[in-house]
Amino acid sequence: MNPQLWALAVAGIVVLAAVALEYARSLRARRLALAGAGAGAPAPEPYILYFTGDGCTVCRTHQEPALAKLDSVRVDRIDAVADRELADRFQVYTLPTTVVMSSSGKALHVNYGYAPAPKLARQLAEARTLTA
Amino acid sequence: MSTVDHAALKVNQTGIILTVLVAFVGGLFFAPLLWLIPALAIVLLLGTFVPQAALFKQLYFRVLKPAGIVKPKPVEDRPEPHNFAQGLGGVFLVVASIALIPSLEVAGLVLALLVAVLAFVNLAFGYCVGCQIYYQLGKRGLIRA
Repeated sequence: MNPQLWALAVAGIVVLAAVALEYARSLRARRLALAGAGAGAPAPEPYILYFTGDGCTVCRTHQEPALAKLDSVRVDRIDAVADRELADRFQVYTLPTTVVMSSSGKALHVNYGYAPAPKLARQLAEARTLTA
Repeated sequence: MSTVDHAALKVNQTGIILTVLVAFVGGLFFAPLLWLIPALAIVLLLGTFVPQAALFKQLYFRVLKPAGIVKPKPVEDRPEPHNFAQGLGGVFLVVASIALIPSLEVAGLVLALLVAVLAFVNLAFGYCVGCQIYYQLGKRGLIRA
């Protein structure tokens, strides 16, 4: 087999391994975040913690337009670099990260990476059902 | 916060992907095309430290944009994470170039392919792995993010 084909096979395995590791890492972080985040501030309605940073392009090009599509939802914007303590509580390892909080201040869903508006809307609806 | 033309970044990513693909596929038939990989490493590193010498971005600013072939896409953004990602790609390609000696050729090609894959992920999905590394380094106080 020539070097190109070997390289293609190895690169494919590396990419698959990276995807699997990333998936496992997000599962673990989500589990730790939901278990160990503790209670947040109670609010009249479910709300979103939005972790971002100055260097996060996807935050501006994708996540913020998606958050803007959610009507009348409180979004608490947090600079993950400046507020490391809160970022660590929610195991924020990538930006953007969004956390859907119930009105009682409990973290219900953690999304690492870009979360589209329909996904957030679904999670918020679920949070409202739990509250009702 | 400054403004970054994301069309220039997309042209840069496209240039990286095409160059690696030409080197990779063309190298099957004409081995000297593999020299495109060290050439790309120089282009990326030079462009990181001297933006005026960034070949693909200059192609965009001097040819594609004035001719209306690619429309500008200014976004309120910081250029540093993108420069960092480009520099990281350049460093990987330097290692790939060194590894392209006959006995380590596969390792060199794998590294070059991975740089192209990451450029493609950025181009297609807007996910910049180098920018995430920049964030992690900033969070740990290793760089000012």
